[in-house]
Parts: sequence; structure tokens; C-alpha cells
Amino acid sequence: MKQKFTTWWAWLFHKEVISISRQLHTVKLPDGETVRVTHSVDCMDTACPRPQMAVMSMLETMKKGDVLELITDNPTAIETVPALVMVLYSQHLATLQTDDGWCIYIRKND
Amino acid sequence: MSIKNQESTTAVTLDVDTGNKFAAWFAQKQNRYVLTIIGLVAICSAWALSNDTRWIYLLVYAWFGLIYGMFLQYGRFCMASAVRDLFAVGVSRMAVGVMIALCLYSLVAAVVNVSGFGTFHPQPLGLHIIIGGLIFGFGIIFTGGCASGSLYKTGEGNMGSALVILSISFSQAFFVNLGNWSDRLAPASWAASALEKDMPVELSADHGWFDLFTAGYVWDLHAATLADMLNVTQPIVRSFLANSFLVTILPASVILVLLYKFYFRKGYLRKHKIEQPEMRNHLQGIWAMIISSKNTAIAGIGLGVFAGLHVWATGALREHYDIFNFGELLEDMGYTSGLSIQGTVFDPGYWYITTQEAQWGAWVMEHMGMDMRSNIFFGLDNGIPNPLINAPGFMSIGIILGAAILALLRREFKWKLPSMETAVFALVGGALMGIGARIAMGCNIGAFFATVANGDPSGWLFLLGMVGGGYVGVKVFNLWLTWRTSQLDDGSFL
Repeated sequence: MKQKFTTWWAWLFHKEVISISRQLHTVKLPDGETVRVTHSVDCMDTACPRPQMAVMSMLETMKKGDVLELITDNPTAIETVPALVMVLYSQHLATLQTDDGWCIYIRKND
Repeated sequence: MSIKNQESTTAVTLDVDTGNKFAAWFAQKQNRYVLTIIGLVAICSAWALSNDTRWIYLLVYAWFGLIYGMFLQYGRFCMASAVRDLFAVGVSRMAVGVMIALCLYSLVAAVVNVSGFGTFHPQPLGLHIIIGGLIFGFGIIFTGGCASGSLYKTGEGNMGSALVILSISFSQAFFVNLGNWSDRLAPASWAASALEKDMPVELSADHGWFDLFTAGYVWDLHAATLADMLNVTQPIVRSFLANSFLVTILPASVILVLLYKFYFRKGYLRKHKIEQPEMRNHLQGIWAMIISSKNTAIAGIGLGVFAGLHVWATGALREHYDIFNFGELLEDMGYTSGLSIQGTVFDPGYWYITTQEAQWGAWVMEHMGMDMRSNIFFGLDNGIPNPLINAPGFMSIGIILGAAILALLRREFKWKLPSMETAVFALVGGALMGIGARIAMGCNIGAFFATVANGDPSGWLFLLGMVGGGYVGVKVFNLWLTWRTSQLDDGSFL
């Protein structure tokens, strides 16, 4: 999650927080399909391997057919998550580049 | 006439068109930064060469560093995640990429060695490699990147990784220069054996843990490639069969099959709904695993080929100047202050990361008034050259710049400041990496990648240690994350 700091010590002692939202919204993917995002994790500004582990623990809590949105600016994570998703029997829908990172969409298959 | 006119009009429009395209490309600030970096490298190279053409030896390191940096960034080639992702999340992507790179490097290295331009020296084989690997492997889990991984991540703007490099530099310089108090930590047999070596007094080789370790233990060990062990003399059999096939390609293939069996098979068969898999399906599965991450596979191929070419380029230059070590060139050019007492500097002739960073740290510490040369590591072997004339040091800088170029072009460059937690992990993990790298005589590049690819089986010991350390590191890291998550009560986690 992108955090704002007013003082330098607030920045110095901040924690890398991953926030989860269940706000439903729809996203149009590059292949034309429109999906309804059911879960969203915001891993902005977090280091490896937190985004990967966030995806793992999120997928555990989700039901079949749910769509997860991962928001991250970690380049290694966007390379690993599609590979990770196959191991977890889910489907990688798309990776979209945004202004300050990426959004990855994953559908739970099983 | 009219046809000719028409042609010239099209040519003009084309020119305007390319001009416009370039203007649009140039209008984006990331592209201007890329041009600035490339321009600066070109100007500095030209300036160095116009001073003295012998700087080509240093520039070869810098240019290969740029290439390594670009490929590392392209494939997000992170050896730390090769180990970590296997244990933490069960993903074999990076481990597969490393094996691909290893096989290609060894094939190119075999060609280079047959042609007689090889620069590789085998590492002494002993238990210290496993122990160093364990410490190193434990460290990389906490820093989130290995030695070259931290370099390319610094190029992506990640300041936490820059801290890792800082920590590796100073921890190594400090560790090889431990004072007399550390003698007690070394066995008496090392001290006795070190005394017998009859080293010059100014090195104080019989004092300091690392000196005793080097002179009293490592120097008594045997270093050889497999071909030497088997006493093979025919050059082609030597390089291709013994060193490349038996040491690298066969074990790497076995590891690929094991990775498929334990990490990829289940998901693959399930995805393709294969219930009774045959041999054919498994072979297709292994191929699918290799190409599952295209960027990683391409980076693996590129790194393997260029790492081999690097050996050839440096070997050819040494032949051309008739030298064994860059120190001789430096002496000819009048730069003697950074040389060791043998007149040498660190100059591996292949991809290597950690020692030049130790020299940076030692150079700074020396200028703060510390005595850094009364040890074997700097005083006898590697010297402490000014960072401006440290040839392998420019390979490290090249990796940072190469990664920055590609990250800017792909719009992935982003300044990132570490949180306190990440910064502490970077410093502590980096110090562990530095110590582990010195005990094992190299990092995952120098002690594993380059070693194995050149036919020295000791590199596999380093991997064994690194995987073990990585396994323990992942367990400890998970405990830490669980504990930190339990400290939060708002439903979010770390």
C-alpha cells in the first residue's frame, strides 16, 4: 500500500503493509473479456517475497471462480506470480502495466 | 524526371517521419535518461582509450557488465529467488533459468578453453565451501537478492539493494582484516601450517582469522577441474566431455528433471487434464517448464553465452599484452599504489562479483586511516586499487548501469526507499553474504556459476550449502512474517 509520511521518522519506522479490499469492480482485459474482481490486494512498496506470499494466502481463502487483483510495483513478483499461479491450480488472466506498477488478474479455478 | 521527383519527395517525407518519431521518443524523459547513460559510457570509454589504449582491458569488464545488467534485468534473474521461491512458494522458474544459463555458459566456456584463451582457475575443494554457502544462502533470503541481483535491482532504483552492496563491501573488507584477537577462533593446526608458509612479515600471515584460514587451511587443499582429476589430456575430451558434460550438463539435467518431478508435474498434468501420464507427456512437461517463463529463459541463454565470450575476450587481451594479471598493465602505465606486494590486482577474467566490492570497502577504510594491507587477501593477492582503475569494479558498475538502461526503456525504473525493516535486513543479510562469500571464496556467481561452468565440481558444494542456508532462511523469515502479522489487528498483513 502506498503510504504518505509527514515526518522523516514516520517514514523511517513505517511497516510494509499489504492491504486487502473486497470492493467489487469490473475490469476490461486486453483480450476483450470483462471480469469482475472479487478480491484485491495492494502490495505497493513491499519487497520480495511478500507479494508472492500475499497471493498464496489470498488464493487459499477464495472460492472457485473468484478473481484476484494484485497491485504491485515489484518487478520480480510480476515475473514469479504467473508461474506461482499454475502451481496453485489457478489461471493467470492478464498483467497490465500502470503508471507506477502493475495489476495482475488471477482467477481461482479449483 | 517526374519519377525522380516523386522519389525524392517520399524520401523527404520519410525523413520527416522518422524525425518526428524520434522527437516523440526523445520527448519522454526516460528515453532521454537512457541516451544520457549510453552517451556518458561512450564518452568515458573514448576518453580512456584516447589516454591510453591499454584501458581497453578495463573497458571490456565494463561493457560486459552492461550486457550482464541488461540480461539480468530482462529476465529478473535473481538467484536469491531461485532458492527462495522453491521453498517459500514452490515455484521453479528461476532455478530453471539458472540451469539453462549454466549449460550454455559451460558449452561456450568449453569452446574458449579448447581455443586456449581460458582464464579460469579452479577453487580449492573443501568443507569451507559448504559452510560459506550456508551463510551466504541464509543471508540472501533476508536481503531479497544475491550479489549480482542486488546490483541490477540498484539499477532499477531500489535503494534497499544499494544498502546490500554497501554492506557486502564493508563486511568483506572488515572480515578479511580481523585483528589478532581472532586468532583464538582458529584451530592451532592452521596457525602452525600458516607459519610454515614463510610469508613476508608485513602480511602478518600468522595473525588474523582469515589469514590463518587462507594460509593454514585453504592453501593446503587441492584445486582441480574434473578433467585434471581424471588426468584427461586430449583438449576436446577434456573441455567438452569431462568439464562441460560431466560437471555441468549432466548434473544440471538431473536437477531439471527433479525440479519437474517435485514442483512442476502436478500442476502441469492437472492443467492439461492428463490422468495417466506417459513418458511423452513428461518430456513435453519438462519442455513446458523450461519455456514457461520466456524472459527468464532468454536471459539465461544470453547470460550463458556472454559470460563465455567474456572469458574469451579477457583471455585474448592477456595474450595480446602478454600478461597474466591487470596489475602488470597498471604498473606499465605508472599506477603502482594499489597493487599487492606481488604486483597484482584482483582480475578474475570472468564474471565475478564480490571481491571487487570488498576492494571498494577496503579503499574507503584505508583512506580513513586503517591498515588494510597486512593480510593475505589484499596485501598478497588482490591489492586495493583506486575504484577509478579497478577493472572488475567497473563490471559491477556496468551491471547497475545496464539494468538502469533496460529498466528505463521498459518503464520499470522507480526510486524506492527501504523501510526500516528492509534496511536492517539489507545490512544484516548483506554482512552475512559478505562473510559467507569470503569463506567460500566467491558468491553464487564466482563460487558456483563460473566454477561449475568451467568444470570445477566444487561449485556444486556451494550450491548445496546455499540451498541449505536458503531453506533455513525461508523458515526463519516465515516465522518473522507470521509474528509481524500477528502484531496487526486491522485485518491487513505484512
